[in-house]
Amino acid sequence: MATQTETKNNSFILSGPKNIIYEDRPVPELKDPYDVLLQVNFTGICGSDIHYWQHGKIGDYVVKDPMVLGHESSGTVLETGSSVKSLAKGDRVAMEPGVPCRRCVRCKEGFYNLCQDMAFAATPPYDGTLAKYYVLPEDFCYKLPEHVSLEEGALLEPLAVAVHITRQSNIKHGNTVVVFGAGPVGILCAAVAKSLGASKIVSVDINQERLKFIKKFAEPITTTYVSQKISAQENAANIIKENDLGEGADVAIDASGAEPSIQAAIHVLRKGGSYVQGGMGRDECTFPIMAACTKELKISGSFRYSQGDYQTALNLVSNGDVKVKDVISRKVSFQDALQAFEDIRDGKGIKVLIGGPE
Amino acid sequence: MSEQNQSFILRAIKDVAIGNISKPQITDPHDIIVQIGQTGICGSDVHYWQRGRIGDFVLNSPIVLGHESAGVVTEVGSSVKNLKIGDKVAIEPGVPCRHYTVFAATPPHNGTLSKFYKTASDYCYKLPDHLTLEDGALCEPVAVAVQICKVGNVKAGQTIVVFGCGPIGLLVQSVAKSYAAKKVIGIDLSQSRLDLASSVLNSADGVFMPPPMPKKEDGTSHTTDEESEHSAKVAQLIKDKFDLGQGPEVVIDATGAQSCIQTGVHLCKKGGTYVQAGMGRENVVFPITVACIRDLTIRGSIRYTAGVYPQAVDLVACGKVQPQKLITHRYKFEEAEQAFETVRRGGEDVLKVMIEGVQ
Repeated sequence: MATQTETKNNSFILSGPKNIIYEDRPVPELKDPYDVLLQVNFTGICGSDIHYWQHGKIGDYVVKDPMVLGHESSGTVLETGSSVKSLAKGDRVAMEPGVPCRRCVRCKEGFYNLCQDMAFAATPPYDGTLAKYYVLPEDFCYKLPEHVSLEEGALLEPLAVAVHITRQSNIKHGNTVVVFGAGPVGILCAAVAKSLGASKIVSVDINQERLKFIKKFAEPITTTYVSQKISAQENAANIIKENDLGEGADVAIDASGAEPSIQAAIHVLRKGGSYVQGGMGRDECTFPIMAACTKELKISGSFRYSQGDYQTALNLVSNGDVKVKDVISRKVSFQDALQAFEDIRDGKGIKVLIGGPE
Repeated sequence: MSEQNQSFILRAIKDVAIGNISKPQITDPHDIIVQIGQTGICGSDVHYWQRGRIGDFVLNSPIVLGHESAGVVTEVGSSVKNLKIGDKVAIEPGVPCRHYTVFAATPPHNGTLSKFYKTASDYCYKLPDHLTLEDGALCEPVAVAVQICKVGNVKAGQTIVVFGCGPIGLLVQSVAKSYAAKKVIGIDLSQSRLDLASSVLNSADGVFMPPPMPKKEDGTSHTTDEESEHSAKVAQLIKDKFDLGQGPEVVIDATGAQSCIQTGVHLCKKGGTYVQAGMGRENVVFPITVACIRDLTIRGSIRYTAGVYPQAVDLVACGKVQPQKLITHRYKFEEAEQAFETVRRGGEDVLKVMIEGVQ
């Protein structure tokens, strides 16, 4: 295998079921006058990367050909297309990894996350960002202010997911919020809810280490609850009682995908409350539909991010509202990327960043 | 030598001429070329011709005029899926390059009064066979009317009052009716236009001509306060005449006239919605306290947004909105300047003036 110094665009590739290789890929070119060529500096690992690695598919997205993994990245501008106005060589940017078609009705309405022809990094058949170089259009690059590091820039992707989830919930100042799941997304949802003025946040998980982390991360208004092997209604009743939630929470977010959490979330809400499905688990689950009906709950899905979310995420980091640096468990070099994948697969750490190839 | 592309060009203020510009070439795989068949004239075209600017949009170099058009597709880019050569299309004239917006016949961008016009395929909507190119061109003002109703949140069962029975006012009334509004009232100073609303287009369930202010005994002109007071009185007259109770759900101004704007705001019920669609003076005397204490929602409406143009085409296609009834004059391409002159002089008898495409 060629050493890194001999390769032009060393890439971290899922070549077959559970099989990762490093391969030199052609350096991408600027195709459109609005394109920007980036050198990738940091990439965080997402559950979806792990899932494609371990299972080869997520729903209808099936990995048929070798695919570069990774999509939570930050980079540095190397070259800009002739129409690029806001970026120049040397600028450090956060990279929004999904480029929609810009022509369909969803795109024009601003719901570009729902574009049928979305080209999303590391969702088959599109290559991801775990390479030396990557090309993105100018408006999908967010210039980082001086005081925001490239490491923090790589955290904007999961933070934008959390921003979108909380936006879907229509959370209002003073609301009480219960977040099920204390993984990276759950942690960031709690932090975003806090920045939006939530009066109480309860984080729910079975993992006490993670709960300890989230309590500190979104203090002082965040309390925790350890899910027990009792009915969903009982877990919900406990959460309400222990946290003085009155008739129930205003907002419940599932960032776990786990059936018991989804059920407890419905039961923890007050009448007229809002539920957002952010977590991804089994395709189907047993769902308390009658409670949803009689309590007149507003139920939304949430998928990636749309208009304004990435910028909001940048603003939250830039003005210190969400200290994403604290979520980074460790950094590894590009050659040690597989190790990082194995750690995340085994539940070690929260967010691990992989440095770009030098 | 490039092929002829005869166009109606605004060279400078009050200086129009028919000239030749280069025939557009497809450069983006999603583009199409349309041979323009019909173009309606809008007040903005006349305004650029006479004044050379509208607000921040200033004429600095010649532009082709026109933006309310329909035509036949003559060429398609390699990625175009929704249209083929020979299709009749209504053209939505504002194409964002998807990083920022470009609107036809708004300086510095050329309009559609040419033989050939290039645009993005997703901004062209295929017309069903039974619609003519005139219908297609009229989809543009219908889209403006649909947007106004969208912004005003017009819904079934509501009472809507529309100030102005010009093309936009009449089309707003029609669109509101197609949304199953319970009662649509049209206001204008011209009896013939009110008749259009109540009897020809059947766009209004009731029409009203506001009485003028009585002349003062001492012959002096009215003060601003007296005008405002009169506007409030007219609003009450309208409420009484049509049994509007506290007021209509939505009031739309399609005149831009100060007196209508004032009357319109006074007419709103508590919590109602007022939409400013008409364009007149940039600054007017506005009943701001009424707006405040009645918790009104006041919105401006401009052009159209995603999904609106196709809706307009549908409304025309199924006959719920009949913009062809607004056509009062038709001209050939060589007579374009006369067509513009007709719109400029205006008058009760001038509604929608159409210019045929280059033959």
